[in-house]
Amino acid sequence: MTTTLFIVQLINGLQYGLLLFLIASGLTLVFGVMGILNLAHGSMFMIGAYLAWYFVEHTGSFGVSAVVSAIIALLLGILIERTLIRHLYRRNHLDQVLLTIGMIFVFNALQSILWGNDPLGVAVPELLSSSIPLTDILEYPVYRIFVAIFCVFIAIVMYYTINKTRLGMLIRAGESNREMVECLGIDISRLYTVVFAIGVMLAAVAGVIAAPMTSIVPGMGEHILIACFVVVVIGGMGSIKGAFIGALLVGLVDTFASVLVPQLSSMMIYILMAFILLLKPQGLFSS
Amino acid sequence: MLFNKRTERLFIWIFFPLALMMPLFLEQNTFYVSKLTTVMIFSLFVMSLDYLVGRCGLITLGHAMFYGLGGYIFVMIAPEYEAVNFWLYTLYICSIAAAIALLIGLLVLRTSGIYMIMITLAFAQMAFYYFSDSIEFGGNDGVFIYVKPETSLFGLSLFDLDNPIHFYYLCLLSLFNTMAFFKIIMRSRFGRVMDAIHENPDRTVALGYNVFFFKLISYTIASALGAYAGYLFTLQYGFVNPSMLSWTTSGTALVMSILGGMGSIYGAILGTLVYEGLHYSLEHLTEHWLLFMGALIILMVMVFKDGIAGYLEKLLEKRS
Repeated sequence: MTTTLFIVQLINGLQYGLLLFLIASGLTLVFGVMGILNLAHGSMFMIGAYLAWYFVEHTGSFGVSAVVSAIIALLLGILIERTLIRHLYRRNHLDQVLLTIGMIFVFNALQSILWGNDPLGVAVPELLSSSIPLTDILEYPVYRIFVAIFCVFIAIVMYYTINKTRLGMLIRAGESNREMVECLGIDISRLYTVVFAIGVMLAAVAGVIAAPMTSIVPGMGEHILIACFVVVVIGGMGSIKGAFIGALLVGLVDTFASVLVPQLSSMMIYILMAFILLLKPQGLFSS
Repeated sequence: MLFNKRTERLFIWIFFPLALMMPLFLEQNTFYVSKLTTVMIFSLFVMSLDYLVGRCGLITLGHAMFYGLGGYIFVMIAPEYEAVNFWLYTLYICSIAAAIALLIGLLVLRTSGIYMIMITLAFAQMAFYYFSDSIEFGGNDGVFIYVKPETSLFGLSLFDLDNPIHFYYLCLLSLFNTMAFFKIIMRSRFGRVMDAIHENPDRTVALGYNVFFFKLISYTIASALGAYAGYLFTLQYGFVNPSMLSWTTSGTALVMSILGGMGSIYGAILGTLVYEGLHYSLEHLTEHWLLFMGALIILMVMVFKDGIAGYLEKLLEKRS
């Protein structure tokens, strides 16, 4: 492998890892605060990508589409939490798994009713459609770099929100002791709604920004969901920091494996996960 | 008595005689016979999952891995153009699947709850990608089986596997035996300890039992039987492909098990029958059957969580 190719793969790996972080952080946040395992989280990623396509087709602007999609996702998150998830807090994990499997079925059906089953594509926004030349023949698309920077920006915003703001303080308090937070006169159910809606929005936003890089196909949600599971299992369930490290690790391993050991490439992240579990059954950063 | 609940006995006395007579009514219609055969096979698979999740409290979302492995192990070890012995290969496949389950169990059972759900899923995905990427096993298309095994046992050949009616009875017999087998385990000393572990693992440790060992044995047994179901499925359709190991297979099985009534064992048959029946009729009504299926599952979790068996028992059992 030449140095240039190595650098390209490195950037690809980091960029994929950062995108995974965006999705996995929502999954792990919802689990950490509310104790809910949301299998339909991948469906939100899918919905985000389809919404992005729909609004780009109708408004012509990627920026407008992204904002509208994010708002719709937020509202969808509030609706789902208020009508369904709310009833599961005191139930076991099995009920959560089932309910969210049901949600996956519904979302997949809605996707096929609303947008059909043919692969769709979103054009890269014009402002970001250029490429940076690396050598005479190799160049790197600006859009991918934009995605990486955007994800880092979101990660910093999340870090700041959780550690420095009042909402973050409530989230951390809710994580450690639900009853105590209630006793202090804080409406925990509203906090849960907010956290769940943010989680849904993060996944959908990831779907929106991923839309110009991939083809939008049915089942894309399930594929990414499993990768996110690997991320949160490696990082430790409920830990945002763990999700960040885990996502980068998975992104890099996945990207380099497809170059170095193509036969094993799609298995490699699971082998990594099994290995880490052998050493630390609760993940790297479990609380 | 092995079948200790009234509802359970009632179910057995209604279901098995009906199932035995069914091919007489459907003689001309092999389509329904083979459809019912698939339901039996899947019931067997769901039953093994029901034991694992409902009786042992080991929630797995990767049980389909063993379903698929049942087929793939057969393809790996059986010669391509030669009829092998069905019973012998049943033994081989279950033993190999058990050995794999033992190894994976050592890793997976170190965790519990939500972690175990995700790790079992990840292992199943690993197997899924292994087979769907491999050229040797035909990738996404899978592998065809040209010659079906013969079933002679001590010189006596009871079933002709190419005959759908014979195959139907083989699956029905397997289903009944599996059900009886799980009931025997549940009523044995082993099963009692497993119940205690399900109820409270910490106290069971305090009583001096090696909880990990019991979990591992249960996991291995259920996985081997899951592989047996996959083996039957492969023989019925004459092919094996990666979709057998996909996570939707595990998810659907879990839904069927809950629908039937988690942990009741016989509920697995009820759940599979009802689910497949609904699936079949909805599919004929609308191409968007998935929407209704999803809504049904959500409704089930919200209001009908004891499943069909739980509901029947509430009606039929004497209150003590």
